[in-house]
Amino acid sequence: MGEADLAVTANPLQRIPGVAIVLLLLIAVFGVLAPGFVSAANIANVLVQSTLLLMLSLPMTLIIMTEGLDLSMGAVLTLTSLMVAIVSVATGSMVLGFAAAVAVGLAFGIANGCLIAVLGIPPFVATLGTLGVAQGLALIVSDGQSVVGIPQSVSEIYSATLLGVPVPIVLAVLAFLIFHGLLYHTRFGTYVFALGGNREALTYAGLSPTRLLIGVYALGGAMAGVAGLLMTARMNAGHPTAGLGFEFDAIAAVAVGGTSFERGNGWLGGAALGVLAVGVLRNGLNLMALPSSIQVASVGALVIFALFFDGLRSRS
Amino acid sequence: MSTVISLHEPSRLNAPAPPLLELRKISKAFPGVRALDEVSFGVWPGEVHMLLGENGAGKSTLMKILCGAYRADAGEFFHGGEKVTINSSLDAKRLGIAVIFQEFSLVPYLNIAQNIFLGREPKGRIPGTIDRRKLNRDAQRVLESIGFDIDPTVTVATLGVAQQQMVEIAKAVSQNARVLVMDEPTAALSDRETELLFDLIRRLKADGVAIIYISHRMAEVFALGDRITVLRDGRRMGEVHPAETTPDELVRMMVGRNVDMSYPRHFAENPGEVLLEVKGLSAPTGISDINLVVRAGEIVGLCGLVGSGRTEVVRAIFGADPASAGQIIFGGRGKSGGPDEAARLGLALIPESRKSEGLAPARTVGDNLVVCALHKLFPSGLFEPRRVQRVSSDLIEKLRIATPSARQAVALLSGGNQQKVVIGKWLAAGARLFIFDEPTRGIDVGAKAEIFALIDRLVADGAAALMISSEQAEICHVCDRAYVMREGRIAGELSRTELTEENIVRLGMHHG
Repeated sequence: MGEADLAVTANPLQRIPGVAIVLLLLIAVFGVLAPGFVSAANIANVLVQSTLLLMLSLPMTLIIMTEGLDLSMGAVLTLTSLMVAIVSVATGSMVLGFAAAVAVGLAFGIANGCLIAVLGIPPFVATLGTLGVAQGLALIVSDGQSVVGIPQSVSEIYSATLLGVPVPIVLAVLAFLIFHGLLYHTRFGTYVFALGGNREALTYAGLSPTRLLIGVYALGGAMAGVAGLLMTARMNAGHPTAGLGFEFDAIAAVAVGGTSFERGNGWLGGAALGVLAVGVLRNGLNLMALPSSIQVASVGALVIFALFFDGLRSRS
Repeated sequence: MSTVISLHEPSRLNAPAPPLLELRKISKAFPGVRALDEVSFGVWPGEVHMLLGENGAGKSTLMKILCGAYRADAGEFFHGGEKVTINSSLDAKRLGIAVIFQEFSLVPYLNIAQNIFLGREPKGRIPGTIDRRKLNRDAQRVLESIGFDIDPTVTVATLGVAQQQMVEIAKAVSQNARVLVMDEPTAALSDRETELLFDLIRRLKADGVAIIYISHRMAEVFALGDRITVLRDGRRMGEVHPAETTPDELVRMMVGRNVDMSYPRHFAENPGEVLLEVKGLSAPTGISDINLVVRAGEIVGLCGLVGSGRTEVVRAIFGADPASAGQIIFGGRGKSGGPDEAARLGLALIPESRKSEGLAPARTVGDNLVVCALHKLFPSGLFEPRRVQRVSSDLIEKLRIATPSARQAVALLSGGNQQKVVIGKWLAAGARLFIFDEPTRGIDVGAKAEIFALIDRLVADGAAALMISSEQAEICHVCDRAYVMREGRIAGELSRTELTEENIVRLGMHHG
């Protein structure tokens, strides 16, 4: 290990994670090209808009670390967002709406976990199935219509500030700290590394990979519920396709952030930087008045570029 | 081995003290196989009990039963004379049994301390959290106790194989293991690392730990063993003491027939035409100015220390790595392209890692046998299963591959038979030069002899072989000539008469 340490100190640039360099590059490019990118208002905007994606990317990091995937997250987000809208409109209570969203999200997460861990269905197929179910349910409960008339207590979540900091950012920082503590300082987090790195090691240690795996996917579902609140608050409505494609952005952010799809090699800080990279990219393209179809293509290109860049660096 | 061979103390057998762990008539069957048939043996504190047997003799089943991963169908366990059951990994742990598998049970992206105490983390103040400081302190103490000087917060993925093995042992020691089961622990270690491991094993012995040690290497069986149990086809063939037996006798017990360890060969008096000529070959992978010749009918060895560039030479010849200078002439024609050209010309590379580079393990024996010959067999591009069946049955018979049928998945075959499938697929493709990279790694003694007999038949039929092996004895017994490499260059060539282990070592090492 002495050698490895020497190599690192010999070239300090190598220590800077690739995703940080990618993020700085994006900021530099849009700083020059996109009008109004470098302004306090826009930077705050990027941060607030990124909070929703962060809520999904945190559990997605854990899921990918188990060598899994959750394709249903976007559709479940749509559904939980609708739950917030429908329940809060009916009862006038933000808390009940939020509770309903988390409950529905949790149910989907546990279902995903059971399909994968108990029935042994590959994550790609299992969550593709629940994606369809969640999207279908979203269309049914909303009757294909937007749900409007959201109580102010819900929309306030997005616009209010706490000590001058927008509430979504407070929530996102809180979520990050909780996940950080969970992954790096608890037994559960330690076992997440083992789920992807060496599942047999868990069995030999007398632990149940099945239950742990269900727990990881349940976290994903619950966080889709939390994100549902932010989404409904942001749009001031519930929309039957609001979460479309969010699983794509979340997986992209995690991949850009340097989490590997193999052997349980993940990094939450990288995922957060990856979320910002995706956020900056979409915001910059928006300011340049490019259509959203270009944005999707660019996020895809970003993933490919970031992984290629990482590969180049690790080879040199 | 620098240390004195530890002799068995016969008095112990008659001593009233019961074995620390004893197995009586343990049986285990799987569909179609009796993996273990009434196997009995015992291990006393402070002794190394060697477990010998060919692949498929039942050693791994026995290990899985000992660690609680499998449950025995019949038989009894006694721990310190008391009857016990082993139905789960928890039972095994309670009895102080720890198993160190060849495939480590470590989590790559956790650190050493986290791995040692996986599932037994010291609790922090908040429920569910870990007391990191205590974790690292405890790990430090365990590592010190086995004499492994390393920072416990280093990520396991950055460690070498030998260090990972030390972590495994630390893990076992931390669980107060009194019975340590080790599966070919030196398979991936250098000589120096092996010495360190042996030192540790002697220290554990002195602490009264009982060690069950599975090995394929005769030298260590005699250097380390206090008692040897030989298994064959799931049955216990007998228990012997190192002082009262010989390697030949052990081999006879293992394979049940007399395998001549000198691998008889039909050495060619007059080798044929030059098949491969390499002139001044250099490659960015670290080899320079390689010159060698292989003639039809010859087996040519390529030796040298691990890391001397042997694999790089054969990869460059095959075209798997680009060359930066030099010429490769095969069958009288220059060769410059990649593996596809090599295969078309009749070169075959039989790589060291069969499972990842030589075979598609989940596919059938038949599929694997024809995979390199698809162009030849089916020029129209349409696949004919019946033709595959015919071609593969011929090869299975010719190469004596032990498989129930061509439709068996290759992964289910033993190492030696898998190797035959790799050879067979090149034979089907019409290869004339076979390049072997460690052809007998992980293959048991009986199968080794069969593989060499097969190579001998190939070259007798006019093919040629270039063979990398770290087992110098094998090179000496099997090869017509050998090149010895040192630091990316050919250090010398040894003719049949000069070919001795001593000469290989002398050429391969830096001389002062």
